[in-house]
Amino acid sequence: MLRTLSSRAIVPVAVAVTGFVVVCCILLYSVMKTDMVNDTIQHETNLTDTVIKSARYAMLKSDRETLRNIIANVGDQKGVEQLRIFNKKGLIKFSRNPGETGQLVDKKSAGCINCHAGPVPKSTIGSMELARRFTNEHGVKVLAITAPIYNEPACFNAACHFHTSEEKLLGTLDIGLSSAPLLKSLAIIRSRMIIFSIMVLILTVGGVAALLRRQVFIPIRKLTEFTSEVNNGNLNCDLNGISGELSDLTDEVRSMALKLRSYEQEIQELKKSRFN
Amino acid sequence: MLPSDKYDMGNSPPEPRRTAKSENAQSRATQGNETIHRLKAKSSRGLYVIALFIALSIGALRDFDFLPSFPPKVHDFLGQPPSAEMISTALLIYSFSAIILVLSRMMSGSEKSAGFIQVAYLAGFYFFYHFAGALEENFWAVFAAGMTILGLESYHIWAYCAEEIRKEEEMLAGRNRDKNNHDKHDD
Repeated sequence: MLRTLSSRAIVPVAVAVTGFVVVCCILLYSVMKTDMVNDTIQHETNLTDTVIKSARYAMLKSDRETLRNIIANVGDQKGVEQLRIFNKKGLIKFSRNPGETGQLVDKKSAGCINCHAGPVPKSTIGSMELARRFTNEHGVKVLAITAPIYNEPACFNAACHFHTSEEKLLGTLDIGLSSAPLLKSLAIIRSRMIIFSIMVLILTVGGVAALLRRQVFIPIRKLTEFTSEVNNGNLNCDLNGISGELSDLTDEVRSMALKLRSYEQEIQELKKSRFN
Repeated sequence: MLPSDKYDMGNSPPEPRRTAKSENAQSRATQGNETIHRLKAKSSRGLYVIALFIALSIGALRDFDFLPSFPPKVHDFLGQPPSAEMISTALLIYSFSAIILVLSRMMSGSEKSAGFIQVAYLAGFYFFYHFAGALEENFWAVFAAGMTILGLESYHIWAYCAEEIRKEEEMLAGRNRDKNNHDKHDD
């Protein structure tokens, strides 16, 4: 089957177009996925800043009740899987989940290791490095941001004098949002790209196959049948319906058949005259 | 006169000339058979290349966890890997040019093929993505590119060898026909 003219014409085209379109779609999807994840991380970073700014006044006034309410209200938002504030020692002081309050978090755990990898913790870190992805105990895929809460003049000059000016970092806010909307969007994009690839393949391969069949294979089949008939001695068969470059070949084959027919007739007449 | 008397009278027999001719024909036939054998072996080379690539891809799917990591000194010497976007752009350009190259070889009927070299290039892409930390996201792109290019190369070589085998067999059949006609004529 692979040796026929049609397969030798269509198989390489199909494989080349299929492969290249698939490679392009995969790379494009990968780039789009990276961009969408980066956008989501940026959105979460902005949300983290919003929560910190919202809680700033309550922290300045050391109003723990208000701070607890802010964390609970933001944590109740749809899509927020975790929200907690650690102090410098890694102790969870406020959390969306009240059961977590008072727990100590390991500095080597995901989200903390980015800053605490070395003997001296990093004081600044890029927003993309603050992000981490994991699956929580409920099986939900979470994209989490761990953002530092920096000391400010208003903090160490506050009436409570709790923080000194030497402290650069006061604590950490950890927020985790469900990745379900992102994954859903990626799945939709993936399925659209698959459909697009299939349509391109059908059009390209189908179009090439249809045109080749019409312009090349059918005329060649007619020529083959005609020459086979002539070879079998049937010199009265006709050949028509072929156009383009193949029409020259058709004319030559037809004239050969006509000459054969005339020679055949001459031979018959000679034989008749001889016997007469 | 009996046929044997002809030689007793000192006439030289025609055997030596006929033997040399048939020896030539035999050696040409042997050469032809050897060529067909070589072409048959070559035509299946593409499958070995694809098998090698699939084995490499299985390693890449596991992010080469069975290979030891480079020591930090080697990492420092190698420096920062290129970004995943740069590697993807290079992969796109490589795939496009490799496919065009194979199609042009098909069009010209060339015997050339670069199967194992293509596997080396694809291995390079796997390793670059691995060092850039983006192999998981881009594995299928490299795999699809590799299967396309190596599939086309294999098909090209198989089709070329099939065509050459057919020509060689026709030539052998033609020589056999000529030899039989010549033998009949001599008899």
